[in-house]
Amino acid sequence: MNKLRVYPKKLFWRLYFIVLVVSLILDFLWLYLHVFHYHFSFQYIPQFFAIFGLLGCMLLILIAKAMGIILVVDEDYYQKKSGKSN
Amino acid sequence: MNSWIHPGLVISIGGLLIPFIPWKKVKQAYFLLLPLAGLAILVATSAGVFGTIPAWPDSLYKYNVPFLQYTLDIVRINKLSMLFAYVYVVAAFCMNIYALRVKNDWEHVVAMIYVGSALGAVFSGDFFTLFFCLEIMSLAPFFLLLFRGTKKSAGAAVRYVLWHHFSGVCILAGVLLHSQQTGSIEFTTMPWGWGGEYLGSNLILLGFVINAATTPFHSWLSDTYSEATPSGSIYMTAYTTKTAIFCLIMTFSGVPLLMWMGAIQSVFALFLAVLENDGRRLCSYHIISQIGYMVAGVGMGTDMGINGAASHALCHIIYNALLYMGAGCALVVVGTAKFNETGGLYKYMPISFWLYMIGGFSISGFPLFNGFISKAMTIEAAELIHNRGVYLLLEGATVGTFLHTGLKLPWNIWLQGRDEPRPEIRAKLKDSALNTPVHMLVGMGVLAFLCIFLGVYPWILYDMLPYPVEYVPFTVTRIFSITQMFIFAFLGFWFLRKLLGGHLGYVIDTDWLVRMPGMKLIQFCNGSLLKFGSFLDRSVVKSSAFAVSTLRNPSIEMRLTPTAVGLGVFVTLILFVIFLLARIGV
Repeated sequence: MNKLRVYPKKLFWRLYFIVLVVSLILDFLWLYLHVFHYHFSFQYIPQFFAIFGLLGCMLLILIAKAMGIILVVDEDYYQKKSGKSN
Repeated sequence: MNSWIHPGLVISIGGLLIPFIPWKKVKQAYFLLLPLAGLAILVATSAGVFGTIPAWPDSLYKYNVPFLQYTLDIVRINKLSMLFAYVYVVAAFCMNIYALRVKNDWEHVVAMIYVGSALGAVFSGDFFTLFFCLEIMSLAPFFLLLFRGTKKSAGAAVRYVLWHHFSGVCILAGVLLHSQQTGSIEFTTMPWGWGGEYLGSNLILLGFVINAATTPFHSWLSDTYSEATPSGSIYMTAYTTKTAIFCLIMTFSGVPLLMWMGAIQSVFALFLAVLENDGRRLCSYHIISQIGYMVAGVGMGTDMGINGAASHALCHIIYNALLYMGAGCALVVVGTAKFNETGGLYKYMPISFWLYMIGGFSISGFPLFNGFISKAMTIEAAELIHNRGVYLLLEGATVGTFLHTGLKLPWNIWLQGRDEPRPEIRAKLKDSALNTPVHMLVGMGVLAFLCIFLGVYPWILYDMLPYPVEYVPFTVTRIFSITQMFIFAFLGFWFLRKLLGGHLGYVIDTDWLVRMPGMKLIQFCNGSLLKFGSFLDRSVVKSSAFAVSTLRNPSIEMRLTPTAVGLGVFVTLILFVIFLLARIGV
């Protein structure tokens, strides 16, 4: 049996960190060389999209989790609420 | 020149014959041929066999039928309707491959009628034809839901029909008001404003907005799509909402209200998606979120906004069917797509994982996948009208989309950091890397190919768009900014991945505001109202029984008891009053 492969973890992480570092360097470099053409001034902040991606992602999860305190209910919520009427 | 053959008619009437074909192989071949026949007609139409299609916004009209004091334009062909029709039949072909082994023939029939009526809707030139097609479209998913056969799906079916008949009634009422005011039933740009004279327009808008699952009327989508049969739900993802987008483009382009509704919707759905535990419900929230881009594009109303909405509708049908198929694979193979039960499936279903990931990258808008060439267009349209709010909402939704469909769902279903799935799931899997049925993989493969093909070579799509495209998708700025955003979104996901794991629970949505009062009303009817009714019933029966027994057998009651005397006086008095009233009345 175990010819079945699990997903390529190591390869993934190595590639990921290389790409991450390269993107950080490229952003500074290209911003300095005026390669980018954005429409809003705030997009010219160094590493704007990196910060936007990271913070946007984390805030989304955290705020949603806070919303979940109220919004997540029992799996059979509506069935129970409707009682014997169904 | 009235010689056009309606592809919608071919597909839906052709679909009716499916159960009557006795040979299995022939039946399957026929089922696959139906959308191809539709495609052939469309290709011929594009080639100009039935007359040339004029430049947008002009149209080619066929089959003008007099009806009451109006003329029905049953067929109106323009660039936009051709674009939608093409993707409808191509998607139907892939979905048919995926659904090939479904045992219930009637599911095929309903699906084909659904596809056919969607084609009818995009080709309709007047509101009555459109309404007729939309009504058929609202019934077909009802059966796709019922065929699942569970109690939950039956409830979802009823709710689906209620929502869509409400929207249908809104559209009909709006059309009647509009036609009374203007004398026209042409399905074209509508005047829009807030005053009473725009009531008709606003009712039609409300109907389309419900059909397009725009916040706050989006909850029917996540509620029902996840309850349908695995293959039935794939059909549902494509047609109803995208037809509504088509209607919005035709009638309400440039309504600023829509721009904001769309932008808010694209983010709002993501918050609920974070909490979701069911793979298919998560994908449903992503349909809602992606529709937000289209609605926002329609609301901007600029050439690029409309182009963005139309191209995104096309790309969305393709990659979203792929995503739903991916989640459906897990449902078909291990019987569940819930995150707290799955995980570690990669080893046993790697191909479906990678095909799903192509869909995930596409919906996120990675460069070289089809989401990039259409979504970026809508975002660029927001930049060009210099609307920071809409831009930030749409860009933020891009991050969230990647977080969920690109990371959360595949992580939870196929990986979760496990090398092996949970024992009870493992028992359902063969010792092979090919647990998913091959025809499903083929259906997904065709869609995945289209995702990449359109992403690498978008000009074939751009040529089909209503307005000429001046947009250059592959610029350093756009590719770099979106890639960097995703790289860091991944980091955020990895930090907080524990929070995104599966947990039992149901997420309350805006439909709570409708379902709870509705439930209370039913409970009131079943409880207090029924009690009062039966009390009334009993007292009437009792008193009439008493009256009958008294009249039939007076001897018993002849004894001059105080009750008998009182009753006699009372009845006489009432009769006397009635007599008097009758006299006065005369």
